[in-house]
Amino acid sequence: MKKRLFSIFYMFLLTLFFTSVVSAVKLYNEERIAMNQEVKLLRIVLHVLGIAVQEGASPQALSQVFSERVKEIAVKERPLYIGYAENGETITGYAFPVGGQGFWGPISGLAAVDPSATRLLGVAFFKHSETPGLGARITEAWFTKQFEGLSLDPIAGEQKIFYLKAAGTGQAANELDAVTGATGTSRAVESFLNRELDHFLKGIWPEVKKKR
Amino acid sequence: MAKPLKSSRIFVRGLWDDNPVLRQVLGICSTLAVTNLLVNTLVMNAGLIFTVTMSCLTVSLLRKYTPMRIRMMAQTLIIASYVIIVDICIAAYLPDISEALGPYVGLIITNCIVMGRCEAFARNNPPWPSFLDGLAMSLGYSAVLLTIALIREPLGFGTVLGFRIMPAGFTPWTIMIMAPGAFFTLGLLAWFLKAYFPQVTETNKER
Repeated sequence: MKKRLFSIFYMFLLTLFFTSVVSAVKLYNEERIAMNQEVKLLRIVLHVLGIAVQEGASPQALSQVFSERVKEIAVKERPLYIGYAENGETITGYAFPVGGQGFWGPISGLAAVDPSATRLLGVAFFKHSETPGLGARITEAWFTKQFEGLSLDPIAGEQKIFYLKAAGTGQAANELDAVTGATGTSRAVESFLNRELDHFLKGIWPEVKKKR
Repeated sequence: MAKPLKSSRIFVRGLWDDNPVLRQVLGICSTLAVTNLLVNTLVMNAGLIFTVTMSCLTVSLLRKYTPMRIRMMAQTLIIASYVIIVDICIAAYLPDISEALGPYVGLIITNCIVMGRCEAFARNNPPWPSFLDGLAMSLGYSAVLLTIALIREPLGFGTVLGFRIMPAGFTPWTIMIMAPGAFFTLGLLAWFLKAYFPQVTETNKER
């Protein structure tokens, strides 16, 4: 009995000690990690809006470009990033968060549309837990590049804006290459991205138009 | 395990005789995952070296107090704590690499090398030899990963640490970027080692 109590007491102390150390390290670095993530978001917003930034630009330079070229507003409690041309007046596009359930966990990303919301400017995924080398390839340029210029008008008689087909078998302009070996992830992306784009066009876009 | 081992012997074992990857075939998952770019491999190695040596040292320091029946629980806690610390530090100071490594830093917790060394060596040996054993084993792991990365990065991307080394007309081998590339490389290395240095494999029966 004494032995058992000692085991419990010992484990309790050990856990207390180690979790305290880990918490301390976490607390000390929390701000820095949050900043890293913010910079990552800025970079991705600029990227989907097609605003060029120098490769390896410092966080300060990035937020400088961001403050000059992007305005963040909230529409229906969701953030909307408005991209401006270099003159600071002409609107070049709108970016908004998209997300949904992936194969293994939630996927978050951003999509951007042109000023008339007829075409996609780009999409990017920045948070996911898909398999590295398989599902995680949705973040690679070859995959996201396919969405650039995609028409947002569903082809007559079809419900979805785009489809993901086995690589190389797509016929129509809205049939894009899926990730080979990651059918689950591809299906998930097709499903939530179509839903989110639809939601933007029907729910958010009318509000945006009113505000202009 | 009864008689104390000399430091040099510990190193020879970790790096060569009982090399964790090639001889004990442990830590294969991360070997396949993080060796497509040398830079990722280096950070992963640093993380593993820190985790293994510190875990071995801690387990060894506590070996006389840890009750036998909860020792695995205690080891897991110790290992997990060190791994989370590494993960936080990489996320804070090397965000790009943290992203490239994805879940693999966190998965060091389940890397058999760490628990294997704690169970097989550190819990029965004094702190200093345990520390050396952890260091030697993780260096052995690192050496193999670096070798594989040095084969994969030039063939898959045409670069080493981002610098172009292959001639301009070189077509990258896509398979080398993907996990199967590592599988073939690792298999060939293990085969080479077994074929040309067979005598030592018999000394390793620790698994």
